[in-house]
Amino acid sequence: MPFDVLDRILRPLRRGPVTSRYPDRPPDLPPAARGLPVLDDARCDGSAACVTSCPTGAISLSGSIWSLDAGACIFCGACARACPRDAIRLSDQIELAVVDRADLTIETRWKGTS
Amino acid sequence: MAEASRLADAGLDPVELVQHVDPQALGERVAALVAEGGRFVTLVGLDDRAIGGEGLAVEAVVQRADGALARLRAGLDIDEPAYPSISSLVPAAHWDEREAKDLFGIQPVGHPDPRRLVLHETWPRGYHPLRKDVPAGVRPPPAERHFVPFEVHGEGVYQLPVGPIHAGVIEPGHFRFSAIGERVLHLDARLFFVHRGLEKIVEGRSFPAALPVVERACGVCTVTHALAYAEAVERLTATEIPPRAGWVRVLLAELERLYNHTGDLGNMCAGIGFQTGTARLGWLKEQLLRVNDGLTGHRYLTGIVAPGGLVADLDPAALAELPARLDAIGSELAAAIRSILRSEGVMARFHGTGIVSAASATSLGALGVTARATGLPFDLRIDRPYAAYRDLDVGLVSASGGDVAARFHVRAQEAHESLRLIRDVLDRLPAGGIQAPLATTPAAGDVALGAAEGPRGASWIWLRAGVDGTIDRLRLRSASFANWPVVAAAVPGNLVPDFPLINKSFELCYACTDR
Repeated sequence: MPFDVLDRILRPLRRGPVTSRYPDRPPDLPPAARGLPVLDDARCDGSAACVTSCPTGAISLSGSIWSLDAGACIFCGACARACPRDAIRLSDQIELAVVDRADLTIETRWKGTS
Repeated sequence: MAEASRLADAGLDPVELVQHVDPQALGERVAALVAEGGRFVTLVGLDDRAIGGEGLAVEAVVQRADGALARLRAGLDIDEPAYPSISSLVPAAHWDEREAKDLFGIQPVGHPDPRRLVLHETWPRGYHPLRKDVPAGVRPPPAERHFVPFEVHGEGVYQLPVGPIHAGVIEPGHFRFSAIGERVLHLDARLFFVHRGLEKIVEGRSFPAALPVVERACGVCTVTHALAYAEAVERLTATEIPPRAGWVRVLLAELERLYNHTGDLGNMCAGIGFQTGTARLGWLKEQLLRVNDGLTGHRYLTGIVAPGGLVADLDPAALAELPARLDAIGSELAAAIRSILRSEGVMARFHGTGIVSAASATSLGALGVTARATGLPFDLRIDRPYAAYRDLDVGLVSASGGDVAARFHVRAQEAHESLRLIRDVLDRLPAGGIQAPLATTPAAGDVALGAAEGPRGASWIWLRAGVDGTIDRLRLRSASFANWPVVAAAVPGNLVPDFPLINKSFELCYACTDR
């Protein structure tokens, strides 16, 4: 038993802190992390494959404005897989809180050729 | 017939063909199958009008002792849908019958507790949303009626209402205790506060389009539900998945079991305020969630399993690191569990608390940890293997006693068994493709069931195809749905302050119960 007590005292000292420095330092995200979908505006050709593939209807395309409602997005990546030109990527942006609901809609003007 | 021959051609087990029975005889027939060693699986309410039928129906499914499924279907009149309740013969069906009554207006005549279940009293009379003539997304005006709790009255008996809003960050449930002093005489658990109509939402969707909804029925059984759904769709479409997908599915299912069991063991410590255990296991669970994140890009493992196989393969770098990380987590987990088991104060609270007898677990249809902690050998990975479990030896973990301590032991041993299985999978993980296209489009009216053994027990998907490869009816009977009535039965005779511990020893989901 005394060894057990000793072990319990020493274990945290050996291990060091298990918490991270977030938000002072950026979060340690794995490469596979699925953050905010972003559009590569030069690659997009306006095929709207992302719009039809989105299970929550979070994406819309109006003229040359590609618009994503981050409040409706479930970060499933269906848009990225559907895009024939690989123009959408799930980024490492995960800090998406806003004060106004309307600010969750993110617009990008695509300038690729159709 | 078409379905059975297609499945046989694809080398898959054909789902047992449906037997049409007289509604009057349904209870006897189901009870006879259960008496022969069968297990009640589900009772599904149905509206046949979108697939060329004329009325409503109920279908009971029983898993026979040999693992095969028996489907018993009783057609009902659209104007007066009623049949004699089967719950007094098969108590495990009592919530299913109440659900079909609320959602379809199908009356189980003589049901022992015919109160509202899924649709609370504020929903108007005559509103049965799963009927085909009721549009989705239209909310009727609320009715002015009130919940009537089931209470025990008498001298010295008082009522203790708890919830639906709780002090902790948990889901909504109302627990009405009738107690004398600190001793509970009766617990009436009222759930379904977060009924979202998921089964209505998926109707008319294509099979892939329904996946995000089914997968998110709750946050902690995502692989289980996606897997059960994928199994059902693959049976329905006679699709064979690539071998690697089957192995990765097992890997993901065991990772899900592992992080749930680790967190749940910690939560059991929280039930008695043993913070050391909660903190140690909480940190281990966090490490496991990060492992999930590294492998799949999602801490709770959504967006990988899909009908036909997998959406994406696992991250190769994270996969290479996995054995070493799990070894480290596994030895920490063993040490944490040892220190909890050595704490006399903890074990004194765990032993003899919240006892479920094997008899009541059997009759109420307990599943998963709840059943195995009473000594019942129920594990779908063994009884009805799916994915790569067909090629793996899963060790059955069980305990006797049926108390909180037994549920702790079962979870602890299953966590180690999961680690062993994951190592086994990693040794044998085949290379190759991960996705196969759905092979056929099922005919409207074809039915298949899929199931997976999740951290809380077996979750079942009953799936019927509509026209052009859409869903006509989907029912998700989660393991939590099956086990909630067991919680209510485990509490009487215990002290009110032991309820948090008893509740956490089951650690059921509300969201996938309510759907």
